[in-house]
Amino acid sequence: MSSAPGADPGPDFELASAFPEVTWLRQAAAAADWAAVRQYHDSLPPGTDRAFVVGVLAKVDGFEHTLRQQLAAVPYDVLALTVLGLRLIEAGWEIRTDARANDVSREQFKAFHEHLGEAEQLLIRATAFDPSYDAAWAARLTTALGLSLGQNESRRRYDRLARYHPHHFTGQARFLHKLYPKWGGTWEAAHGFARECLLAAPAGALNGGLVAEAHFEHWLDLGAGDKRAEYLGQPHVHAELVEAAQRSVFHPQFARPYGWVTVQGSFAAMFSLIGDTAQAAAHFRALGNLASEFPWSHLGEPAEQYVQHRDTALRGRR
Amino acid sequence: MNPQDHQAPQNGQSAATANAIHLTEVDGIPTLFAYAPGPLRAGLVFRVGIADETLARAGVTHLVEHLALYRQGLADYHFNGATKAAFTHFHVEGAEHEIVDYLHGVCASLADLPMERLETEKEILRTEESRREPGQLPLWRYGAQGYGLVSYPEWGVRNLRPEDVRHWTETWFTGGNAVLWIAGDRFPAGLALKLPPGTRRPLPAVTSALPTTPAHFSDGQGGVLLDAVVTDTAAARLYAGVLERELSRALRQEDGNSYTAATDYTSRRDGHALLTAFADSLPAKQDAVLGGFVDVLAALQAGRVAPADLEAVRTRADAGLTAADAAVRRLPGAAEDLLAGRPPRGLDELRHELWSVTPGHLHAVALEAAGTALLQVPSGHSASWAGYAAAPTRSTYAVTGRRFDTVAKDGSALVVGDDGVSVTVRGRDGSDLAVTVAYRSCAAVLSWPDGGRRLIGTDGLAVAVEPGLYGVDAHTMAMLDAAVPPHARVQLPPRQSAPRAEAPASAPAAGSGGAAPVRRTGGQTAALVALFLLGGLFAFVALATTVFGHDPDSGTGEWLGLSGFLWAVTGLIVWPAVRILRRTRRV
Repeated sequence: MSSAPGADPGPDFELASAFPEVTWLRQAAAAADWAAVRQYHDSLPPGTDRAFVVGVLAKVDGFEHTLRQQLAAVPYDVLALTVLGLRLIEAGWEIRTDARANDVSREQFKAFHEHLGEAEQLLIRATAFDPSYDAAWAARLTTALGLSLGQNESRRRYDRLARYHPHHFTGQARFLHKLYPKWGGTWEAAHGFARECLLAAPAGALNGGLVAEAHFEHWLDLGAGDKRAEYLGQPHVHAELVEAAQRSVFHPQFARPYGWVTVQGSFAAMFSLIGDTAQAAAHFRALGNLASEFPWSHLGEPAEQYVQHRDTALRGRR
Repeated sequence: MNPQDHQAPQNGQSAATANAIHLTEVDGIPTLFAYAPGPLRAGLVFRVGIADETLARAGVTHLVEHLALYRQGLADYHFNGATKAAFTHFHVEGAEHEIVDYLHGVCASLADLPMERLETEKEILRTEESRREPGQLPLWRYGAQGYGLVSYPEWGVRNLRPEDVRHWTETWFTGGNAVLWIAGDRFPAGLALKLPPGTRRPLPAVTSALPTTPAHFSDGQGGVLLDAVVTDTAAARLYAGVLERELSRALRQEDGNSYTAATDYTSRRDGHALLTAFADSLPAKQDAVLGGFVDVLAALQAGRVAPADLEAVRTRADAGLTAADAAVRRLPGAAEDLLAGRPPRGLDELRHELWSVTPGHLHAVALEAAGTALLQVPSGHSASWAGYAAAPTRSTYAVTGRRFDTVAKDGSALVVGDDGVSVTVRGRDGSDLAVTVAYRSCAAVLSWPDGGRRLIGTDGLAVAVEPGLYGVDAHTMAMLDAAVPPHARVQLPPRQSAPRAEAPASAPAAGSGGAAPVRRTGGQTAALVALFLLGGLFAFVALATTVFGHDPDSGTGEWLGLSGFLWAVTGLIVWPAVRILRRTRRV
């Protein structure tokens, strides 16, 4: 995602702006340099959310050829299995689109399920070979959603991930989706899980972002009108957001790990929507001009929404 | 025969010698003997079983087994008979003269069955039905023929005539088709086996109802079941043990979603074995049990075998081979092997094979099992996402012929053609789905006096022809009856309720395609009645205590405690009955 041309302080949606190594990683993947990709991945420090790196690689057009070649040579290459699995998931969702189920054609659903099925089987092999591999479990939480596998199965997958990675942000965010009512969960379960993750996480970790994300999704779900305003007006919502931000992005030990732009953006959006411009401004200042599609794409045109909310916050108008 | 020919090993010899199996003969019948302390034990085994029958004659072997044992009456030594898929066992344990009497009696009965008992034994078989535990996997794997018949009720028994039973006995229960085994401290004196002459029969043909494997089907609420055909080796046997440990560890200990996880290993004696695995599930946790099950299999397919698991299973298997009664336990299987043309194997050879198994061998078994697997998942679930193709629940074509729409006009129709019958239904995508049974591949036609018919194809798919439901005229029904091969006909007694026009028509959907439902066995029905009676009694006492038992002298705590206890006992009694009710269906 490139920034809007001409807009001077316009938001920068480019992932590589926050994480410069992304550029290098994309180039290595595009050049089919599997050895370099693998070496980079394997040298990541323990505790890194490797689902982020796998996510970057899975978006590189044509990389599937390299991955299939690698798997033909080494059928149990866990990284190749996982990236190819995620690439197929992305391709499947592109076919399905984000439209409501009623607006998706039978052919689209068929192709979507075929892609997801193939992805899942690659990922089953990945987790079978290395049950401690975080990115594969995180991807299997996504396939569990698309394949409608049930709340308990998603929970089992999350628990398997958490055995090795108890504070895995991407995994938690994916499982949180399953807990939303639209996927068969309840708001009580979703908020409960987000809070549980916040309290269990080490100080300054990203996990508090789940609290903001759950409130954002809940607010979205209420549709336009009074109910939304009512929701944001609840003191406990504001208090929970303040607490979550203090334990995560505003904690002195916060070190901007992979995914931080989305989390900080979620806090910025929530405080802006509530009308707490002071809090919102603090988050926007921390972001500089960095942005991610979520949550802004849910509010309208992402760049416009970002600028509008930021300008309001920084001008201090309520 | 002359008992002096047999040099039974003496006490005090090594386990290997003591456990040796000696091959000899009694009246031309191959006989396996092993030295063993304790009472004499013997078994007469025939190469015949359910898989040799046809669906319309299913139960004939079991009926012969019952008739052959009738004259043993109420003998006070221990004896038994067992009809399995490809073998029938007559087993006895007792003093020397008792063994001899029993075997003489069985042979004499087989030569001249007590046909005056025919109808009574039929009744007994109908109430027995307790061997119907293999469930549905065989019928989905093999169809309504051969090894698949173990899944079906004994529909043939009712219509068997004395001459049918006699013919079956003369064909299969012959000296040429038998093997005897004996375990004891000496060979019994005066033993003679007078059986009619006959030839050794080959093993039943292995049929298939699965176009592709791995495959799955959905039915029942009892958890997840798997079977797989693997090469019959020590490694495969150990793999079954390792799989059980892994399933228990993952599904019970770690996930906490299953209470029972178990596996079984049954040699088919044709160089292959059937591996089965099962994990139960709380109704609410079925999705997670299925997911965990798939992942346990995947881990073993990835070669992730814990060496400690292999050693634990191997040590247990070796203990089984070297135990004092090891030979006795091996003899029935060795007799089956011999009937299948596989000579008995020495203990050293078996132990050598056992100790040669490496994790790599188990990995190979896991991959072989993955390729042939059939998974039964609870109703409402699928395993397509995990790469298990849906087993067929409909046919690839519909016959052409006279079409009868349902009276209820729900879009489904019955088509009666010259070659067979089809039920068609409009699928969700607008295409016609069909279940077809061709007359020439019809395993059985169930006929009820009310005119209802159910045609079951050898592939296990079934078409219900209900004249009232489809408005089929008498002429067409007569044509259909005439077109069906006579040997496939099964006359059944009046049923409690025939399907009526206003009831929803049975559509060729998953589960109703070829699946015989999980039938409630006679034992389970008896248990139901007993448990509910007992439960009712306790419920009454509990109610009485709760309502009238509050004695001011002894305090409320005691009263509450007693009432609670009585209600808890009531619950404990009724719960198994509820479980039986939920797991089974009346047919």
